[in-house]
Amino acid sequence: MADRAKALLATALEIDEAAVPSDASIATLEAWDSLAHLRLVQALEKELGRELPAEHIFAIATLADVVAVLEGRPIG
Amino acid sequence: MSDKPQPQPLAAPASGQAGRAATTGTPHPGVPPAAWRPGQPLRLETEHYIVRSMQHQDVCEDYLAWTKDEEIMSGVNSAPSNMSIEDLHKYIGRFNNKTSFHFGVFLKETGRLIGFYSCYWEQRHNLASTNVVIGDKAYWGKGAVLETRDAIIDFLFDRLKVGKIWGNPMARNVPSVFNYKAQGFRCEAVLKSHRISPTGERIDQFMFGLFPEEWAAHKAKRAAARAARRQGA
Repeated sequence: MADRAKALLATALEIDEAAVPSDASIATLEAWDSLAHLRLVQALEKELGRELPAEHIFAIATLADVVAVLEGRPIG
Repeated sequence: MSDKPQPQPLAAPASGQAGRAATTGTPHPGVPPAAWRPGQPLRLETEHYIVRSMQHQDVCEDYLAWTKDEEIMSGVNSAPSNMSIEDLHKYIGRFNNKTSFHFGVFLKETGRLIGFYSCYWEQRHNLASTNVVIGDKAYWGKGAVLETRDAIIDFLFDRLKVGKIWGNPMARNVPSVFNYKAQGFRCEAVLKSHRISPTGERIDQFMFGLFPEEWAAHKAKRAAARAARRQGA
């Protein structure tokens, strides 16, 4: 699932997967801007086939959070 | 003296038509924060933008077009409006530069208006809010809100001594939610099915909050992260 999460994040940020480190976060990736976050939320919702709860839209801030959302685990 | 917004005198648009924002070479009106006094138009400067109190001569066709754009207005949970240029002049006149501010966001390089803020300071509770619309879609996702709201937050906390800033974007306004988070706002609540969207659905709304000490800590943390990135680069 980590590979899928990295691919989704890279696509949303419009960067190469190789440029997404395992500890990627909003604080460390300049490409993670407001529109990239919108693309990421849309991609996750498409992948999961449902709308993300509001709390997830706010909470997702790292690659690990993306993995957690895909695996249906709590974030953080 | 009442703290309620007092109407500003309406000025006729230059040459009987909607004016353009200050262009290159034209000094931007307004007073910098250090010298600013309540009631005076304010001018803030960031790396790429001038954020200053809107003047009647700033009302332009672009600004009017933004109020009629469904995609832009959905960001503030509103349907496209049927406002006129005259309505925009009246709207600007409602802000007193004491407890209510209508700031234009102007490109420093060209003077072009790309968006605006409506900010309110509720003195009874010493609580402020900053509502932003970036109308020029070319500047979406370019960090314009982060850069300009930084300066506004500094003004609110440092100059007005506001005790708290809050924000309440709709949950599906993802870019706005991202920006609040990126500026250190805490999520205090999610109000479930709290509002009705322009299309009639009940939608969730966030309640975000930021205290002065949190802002100071956030800025210090952000500066450290930037320094670390520079060292790593």
